[in-house]
Order: sequence, then C-alpha cells, then structure tokens
Amino acid sequence: MPLLEGLRLALREIANHKLRSFFTLLGIIVSVAFLVAVVAIIQGMNAYVRENLAGAIVGRNAFQIRRIPISVGLIDDEEWRELQRRPVIRPEEADYVSRAIPDAEAIALQSGWPTPMADVSWRNRTVGDVLVVGVTAPYQVVQDYETAAGEPLTEIDVRERRRVAILGFDVADKLFDNFDAAIGRRIRVRGFQVAVKGIVEKKGTVLGQSMDGFVMLPLTLFEAMYGRRQTTVISVKMPEAAQVADAMLRAEEAMRIARQLRPGQANDFTVDTAEGLITFWQNLTRIIFTVVPAVVAIGIVVGGIVIMNIMLMSVHERTREIGIRKSVGARRTDIQQQFLAESVALATLGGLLGIVAGWALAQLVAVVSPLPARITWWSVSVALGLGASIGLIFGVYPASRAARLDPIAALRFEQ
Amino acid sequence: MTRDGSLIRVSGLTREYRMGAETVHALRGVDMEIYRNEYVAIMGPSGSGKSTLMNIIGCLDTCTVGEYWLNGVEVSGVGDDELARIRNQEIGFVFQTFNLLPRATALHNVELPLIYAGVSAKIRRRCAAQALERVGLADRMQHRPNELSGGQRQRVAIARGLVNEPSILLADEPTGNLDSTTSAEIMGVFDGLHQQGQTVVMVTHERDIAARARRVITLLDGRVHSDTVREAA
Ligand SMILES: Nc1ncnc2c1ncn2[C@@H]1O[C@H](COP(=O)(O)OP(=O)(O)OP(=O)(O)O)[C@@H](O)[C@H]1O
Ligand SMILES: [Mg+2]
Repeated sequence: MPLLEGLRLALREIANHKLRSFFTLLGIIVSVAFLVAVVAIIQGMNAYVRENLAGAIVGRNAFQIRRIPISVGLIDDEEWRELQRRPVIRPEEADYVSRAIPDAEAIALQSGWPTPMADVSWRNRTVGDVLVVGVTAPYQVVQDYETAAGEPLTEIDVRERRRVAILGFDVADKLFDNFDAAIGRRIRVRGFQVAVKGIVEKKGTVLGQSMDGFVMLPLTLFEAMYGRRQTTVISVKMPEAAQVADAMLRAEEAMRIARQLRPGQANDFTVDTAEGLITFWQNLTRIIFTVVPAVVAIGIVVGGIVIMNIMLMSVHERTREIGIRKSVGARRTDIQQQFLAESVALATLGGLLGIVAGWALAQLVAVVSPLPARITWWSVSVALGLGASIGLIFGVYPASRAARLDPIAALRFEQ
Repeated sequence: MTRDGSLIRVSGLTREYRMGAETVHALRGVDMEIYRNEYVAIMGPSGSGKSTLMNIIGCLDTCTVGEYWLNGVEVSGVGDDELARIRNQEIGFVFQTFNLLPRATALHNVELPLIYAGVSAKIRRRCAAQALERVGLADRMQHRPNELSGGQRQRVAIARGLVNEPSILLADEPTGNLDSTTSAEIMGVFDGLHQQGQTVVMVTHERDIAARARRVITLLDGRVHSDTVREAA
C-alpha cells in the first residue's frame, strides 16, 4: 500500500475518534509541552544572563578584583571558611593594579555586597528602599553611566569627602518633577543631608529588577556613613573585550605583589568577570537539563504505553476491517504499515500539540513573570522526533498483532 | 460447454480443525475440477464443508492435506504474501454478510483491491466506477453501506469482486441475507456476468437458485456426493 494512502487512512481514523485520540495523546502532549516550555525558558534566561545581567553587574569589557567570587555556587564548608579568612580589598591595592594596567579605560573602587538600603527624601517626598552605593569616580565609566542632568562625581568629590550624591533615574523621577531644577537640592539619605550633583540616564530593568533605584555617593562619604565594607571591589574596564583576558592576568600578578604572596601560595582574592556568573548559571542549567529529560522520558514512556493500549484496542475493534482488507489482497506488511502509520501519525500529532502547548506555556510565563522565553529549533525538532519514534516503537506490537490475524477468523469476528 | 482448460483442480483436499482433544473433519478428501467459463453451484446440508471448500479455493484458508492447482499453478504450500497476491489478482469473493467497510463509500469499497494491487488513484477510480456500472449501481457511488439496501450492498460487494478482473468469482450464499425479490435481482447479476464469460462458483441452499447453474456439485459430510452437469438451461 502506498505511503500516502496509509497516511490518509491514519488521519481519517484519528479524525473519526477526536476525543479518544486527544486523551490518548495527553501524556505525550504534557511531556512535550513541559520539555519545550522548560527549554524555552532556560534558553531565554541564558540569552538574558549573557546579554543583560552580566553587563549590568560587572560592566561591559570589565572585570573585578574581589574578596569573594561573584558566584559562589556549590562549595563546601571548608572552602567557605577559606573565603572568610581572605583579607579585605584595600584602596591602596587599586594603585598596584592601575600601575600594572596602564591601558585600562577605568579602574574604580566600589562598596560591595550587601548593598545597604535607605529611605531618600526631599521635602515631603520620600522614596523607600533605595540602594546606596559608594564609588570612586571611574565607576561611572565602568558602568557606562550617561548623565541625564547635572555632573558626574569627580576625584575631588571622593578625596574631599564632599556631601554630594548622584541619583538613579527612578529615584530622581519620584523625588523631582524637573531634573534640571533638582541639581543642587539637598536631599536626605538615611538622615544625612547631601546635595544632588547629577542624575543618571535610565538603565532599564534586568530580570524584572529596576537598575535605576540607587543613590551613588563618593566612596569616602559612604564609608563615613556605613563604615568600610568587608567586600570592597576593584573594577577594571578595558577599551576592548579582547584585552580583558590579558589584563586579568596582569591584575592577578599586581595583586600578588601587593599582598606579598610567595610563589606556590594560593591567591587570597579573586579576579572575576561576569563569565563566572555565566558559568554558575550554566552549571545550574546543566543540572536542569539532566533532570528535565528524565522527567520527560518517564512521561513519554507512559504516553507511549497509552498509545500502545489504544492501538491494541483499535486493532481489536477493527478485526473485521482487517479481515476484509486481507480478503481482497492486503499482505501482512500492508496491514502492519497501516497501523504503524496510524500510531506514528497519532504520536507525531501529540508532539505537535505538545509544542503548541509548550510554546503557549512559555509565552504565558514570559508575560506573567520576569523570566524571558526563547523557543529553540532543536527542542521543537527533538519533540517531533520523539513523538514519531514513540509512535513507531509502541506501534510495532499492535501493528504486528493486526498483521498476523487469520483472514477467516477476522472475518467471522463479532464485536 | 467449452472446455478450453481447467481453472481449478483440487485432489484429496482435507481440512481438519483441532478443537482441544477433538478433531473436526470439515473436508475429508475432495476431488474436483472446475473449468473456465463454468457456472457451478455447490450445495449440501449445513456443516457439509461448503464454506470450508470455498475459503480454501479463495485462498483465505489452506488445506491440511491435499493439492490445489489454480490456473496451472500449485497453490497449496505457497507463502502468506503469495496467497494475498492470488486473492488480490485471481479471485473475487462475495460473502453472505457483504463484508464492506462500513465507513467507506461504495466507490472506495470497490477500489480496495486495486489499492493493494498498487494501481494509481486515477485509474483506480475509473475501474471502480466501471465495476459499479456493471452491477447497476452507477448512481450510488458516494453512498456508504448503511445508506444502501441489502441488495445494493451485495451489488457493491460483487463489483469489488469484479474490479480486478479475477479468473474466478466465488460467492458463498450471496443471497442468504436477502429476500426473494432481491435474491432474484442478485442472481440476475451473476447470470449476466456468467454470460459475459465470467467463471462463477456459488454456494447456495436453494434449489431454484442452483437450477440457474449448468453444473451442481453436492457435498455431504466433507466429501463430494454428486456432480451433475445439465445440458440446456
Ligand atoms: N474455525 C472452525 N473451527 C472448528 N470447526 C469449524 C471451523 N469452521 C468450520 N468448522 C466445522 O467444519 C464443518 C464444516 O463447516 P462449513 O462452514 O464449511 O459448513 P457449511 O457447509 O458451509 O455449512 P452452512 O451451510 O451452515 O454454511 C462444520 O462441522 C463446522 O463446525
Ligand atoms: Mg457455509
């Protein structure tokens, strides 16, 4: 029997039993939808982390010298204690680094994690939960901050510990109606009076978090208010991405000299890029990618068994039809192909519906949560291939049962 | 009667069914020969082995012992696929219970043998339509079996049996489920086909139907009891 004829028969049979086919396919639809949706969300997050998060936290073409790595990930207690014993990064160490990397575009110090939050108020207006960061002037270059109004921080502001502040866009927006009129106004940050010196252009959101809800102070002023952080960070920005790797090596060497570490002694600091964050994320997704297929495989096998059952039922119900076909000359292979075509078509349909459902699910997640979604072609083709092969594998037994039927017995069969 | 060749020759045909410890002897050594263009009626009491013999001749079943030659080719002993090919190309089989696909149209039912013969869709349609015209159902091609009368259903089944231009048309009590008027119509169809040169072998219980055939073979208890050829109809 020609393939086209088999396919036509299969589709008609499925169309004749729409509801039954749907319930048969539920297992496959759910499994495939789950696969497609999870993969879509992870892929979306991957792209997002790479494109936005990393740049937003560390800065473009930038790396950091830190006491604690950006992403700690899964470490044991011993490693954690080792990190705790590391000395705090000192401002003088930034000088060693800048001497080692004269071609750096900017080298900055910034107060580290955890970033304190404070109420910021002007006259009767107050904005709560504003992140307060202390920085040296080059930090604004590292982060590619554009000035929306006023002036950026300067070296002198830091050296003289001037009581000035740069506002994130959202904070300024909530406090002032007119940005230009805001410059020079005295606002209160955690009770301290500081003058608004500038406002940074909008940075947007990353993972649903606004990047514009901060107040930036000269590092010296910050430390006078909050004390020195245990986690002060040196940021280095290079003009070109290609220079980052080499600069990181030179920074490491400079830090070892500053700390007078002997050869063979381990670093008591970390030179880190956002790559670390990406690596952490990739490790996480690798775990998800091993768990998801296992869950999907179970669902698919269960779905396959359901298909096999339904096909056996269908063979039973259509015993007379098989007898009729055999009596007019259908060979075993003709009957086998007919039923195989049906189970493959059925399972592939399940795969297709699963893809549609998974896509819808991913879109829904993307709309109601900050998680982005990105449908990948490979997950779609894997889902389709999976559906087709499940139909093939679990269709073989029912199809060969049908093919082996004796024509006379099949014709005599009464429901 | 012209005897331009033996179409079917069976000898020592035996068919046993094993029912647990018991053995049912449906055929106990049947010898007979059927020639081209013959019109043969097979009669005999219920359980005498008529259907069993027809099924073996129709390659739907195989004998336990014995020889079966069709068109000069030995059929007993060939494989499953070859039997399917013979059913498809050499034989048209008409059943008492019609055995049509309930969801398919008359046209599609008649096309069925051609599908397994690998005939292209266009030619299939034309041949099936011609076969339906031959049995007088040109105006019912798109009807499904449940939209047709019993007699019309049997006409569709006959058209399906004819569509591959088989060497022999076998019918096992084709009028068994029909009233007498409709039976007469269906018998008229068979008569017409025989007159066009079609070899017909038909199982029947009714004397007046058997009377239309030139030759009547009577089975009794799995053996040929009598074989009479009448001259002049
Ligand atoms: N599948 C089977 N299993 C066991 N015995 C069978 C089977 N088919 C037929 N028989 C037996 O073989 C014998 C002949 O049956 P067959 O159907 O050939 O009779 P028949 O002449 O066609 O009868 P009827 O006129 O009632 O159709 C019967 O005794 C029947 O019980
Ligand atoms: Mg019978």
